[in-house]
Amino acid sequence: MLKKTFLSENHRQIGARMVDFHGWELPVQYGGIIAEHRQCRDAAALFDTCHMGQFLVEGVHAGADLSRVLTLDAEALSVGKCRYGLLLNEQGGILDDTIAIRLDANQYLVVVNADTATRDFEWIEAHLSSDTTMTNRSTDWGKLDVQGPASFRVLADAIDFDLASLKFFSGRRGKCLGTDAIISRTGYTGELGYEIFMPGVALPKLFSHLLANAAAAPAGLGARDLLRLEMNYPLYGSDVDADCNPVEADLDRFIKRDREFIGAAALRRIDARGVPRKLIAFQCNTRRRPDAGSDIVCDGRRVGNVTSGAFSPSLGTAIGMGYVAIEHAVAGTELEIRAARKSLTAIVRDKPLYKGGTCRTRNAELKQ
Amino acid sequence: MSNVLPNLRYTEQHEWVKVEGDVALVGITDFAQNALGDVTFVELPAVDQQVQKGDDIVVVESTKAASDVYAPVSGKIVEVNTAIEDEPEAINADPFNRGWLVKIQISDQSEIEALMSPEAYAKHIGSD
Repeated sequence: MLKKTFLSENHRQIGARMVDFHGWELPVQYGGIIAEHRQCRDAAALFDTCHMGQFLVEGVHAGADLSRVLTLDAEALSVGKCRYGLLLNEQGGILDDTIAIRLDANQYLVVVNADTATRDFEWIEAHLSSDTTMTNRSTDWGKLDVQGPASFRVLADAIDFDLASLKFFSGRRGKCLGTDAIISRTGYTGELGYEIFMPGVALPKLFSHLLANAAAAPAGLGARDLLRLEMNYPLYGSDVDADCNPVEADLDRFIKRDREFIGAAALRRIDARGVPRKLIAFQCNTRRRPDAGSDIVCDGRRVGNVTSGAFSPSLGTAIGMGYVAIEHAVAGTELEIRAARKSLTAIVRDKPLYKGGTCRTRNAELKQ
Repeated sequence: MSNVLPNLRYTEQHEWVKVEGDVALVGITDFAQNALGDVTFVELPAVDQQVQKGDDIVVVESTKAASDVYAPVSGKIVEVNTAIEDEPEAINADPFNRGWLVKIQISDQSEIEALMSPEAYAKHIGSD
C-alpha cells in the first residue's frame, strides 16, 4: 500500500500520472516533463514534496547535538538561516544530505530525504543529549515547493510577513493563508524559490490558491529530477550513498574541517590520502541519454560509471553525472560513455552545467 | 482519448503506415507518443538500407523510456525525416504529419494487406 501525500486528491483531480517513489505515491508528471521543466525555469512551478522528512529538534543543547551529528555547524548558524549538510557515518560514508533551518536559539528544523527518513531519525536521535527532543513532523506536516523566477510574485500575498525580506538560504516561521507555517528560501531547482512547511490539512487550499495564479503550474518528479541534474545537485541513492565519502562526491566544500563531528576523523584521513575517484558533471555531444550504470571509458580503459543521465532541455544535449578516476576528473577531459546501444562522447564540465539559475536573485530585485 | 486516423494502416507495435503508391510513409501513433511522453532523441536509419518487416529501424527516446520502432513492411529506406533529429518534440505535437519517421519503398504489397485497419487498431488500444 503506497503512502499518499496531503495533496493526492489535488493530483487526481488535475490528471497527474502517479508513480511509486520509495513507497510514496507521487506525481511524475501532469502534462509533460519538458513543459514542466520550462515552467520552472521561466515562471513558477509547484512541487509536492510532502514525502520528505521534517524533524523538529529542540533544547538548549540542540545546536551542539546537531553540530556533532551533521557536518554543518548548527551552533554557528544565525537564527533564521539555513545550511546544507550531510549525515556521515564514522567511516565518512554519506548516510543522507539535509538542510537545517535555525528557527530559534534552541530550535531547528532538519529536512531529509524520504527514503532515508526513518533511518535518519533513528541515527540522529541516538546521538542527542538527554535534554534534547526531536519530533518527527512528517506525519502531520507536509511541504510544498514553489520554484521559479515568478515564485515570489506567486507566493508573496499568501504570506503574512514581507517575503522579500527572506534572503537566499534563510527561513522563518510565519503564517501562510492564515495557517502557521515555516517558509524558507531554498530549493532543488537552481531557481528563485521557496519551500513551505505547514500542517498537511492546510496544503490542498494553498495548492489551489497558488494555482489560481496564471504564472503557476504544477510540476512532477520527472521535471524535478531534470532541474536538479542540470544544477548537479546530487540525488541520494543515485549519485551518493553510504559507500561514498564527501570528497569523492565533491561535496566537501560544504564541510569545515576545524571542528569535530561524526565522520570528521575519517574525513581528515581521506583528505590526507586523497581519493581515487570523483563525482563529475559531463555534457554529451548528442541528445541520446547516457543511462545510469553505463561504463565511462577513457583511452580504451574503464575509468568510472554514470550515476545520473538525461536530455537537458536547457542545454539542448544529453548531460549527466558520474564517478571517474581522479586523473580524468578535470574540466575539458573527453570521455566515452558506453550506453546500452551505442558509445557516446562526453566532455567533463564545471558545475553547475546550467548557469542561468535565478536562485541568488537579490531581494531588491524581487519587487521590480 | 488517442487519435486514430481513418486513412492509415497500423501495427500492433503502434506504428502507422500511409501508402503512397509503392512507398510507405511510417510514423508512431498518437497512442504511442502519449505513452512514451516527451520525445527527446530519435535515431534514424541510413537511406538506401534494405529492411525486413519486423526489423528495428528507429530508436525513440523519451524522458521516460527508450523504444524501438519496427519496419511495418519490407523494402528499402528511401527517405528519413531528418528535421525531427533536432526537433523530436514534433513526434509529440504532430505524430501523423510533421512527426513522420521514414519512407520505405515497398517490396511486397501483400504485407500492406496484413496491417491493421483503423477500426482494428482502435480496438487494439481500447479506444473503440
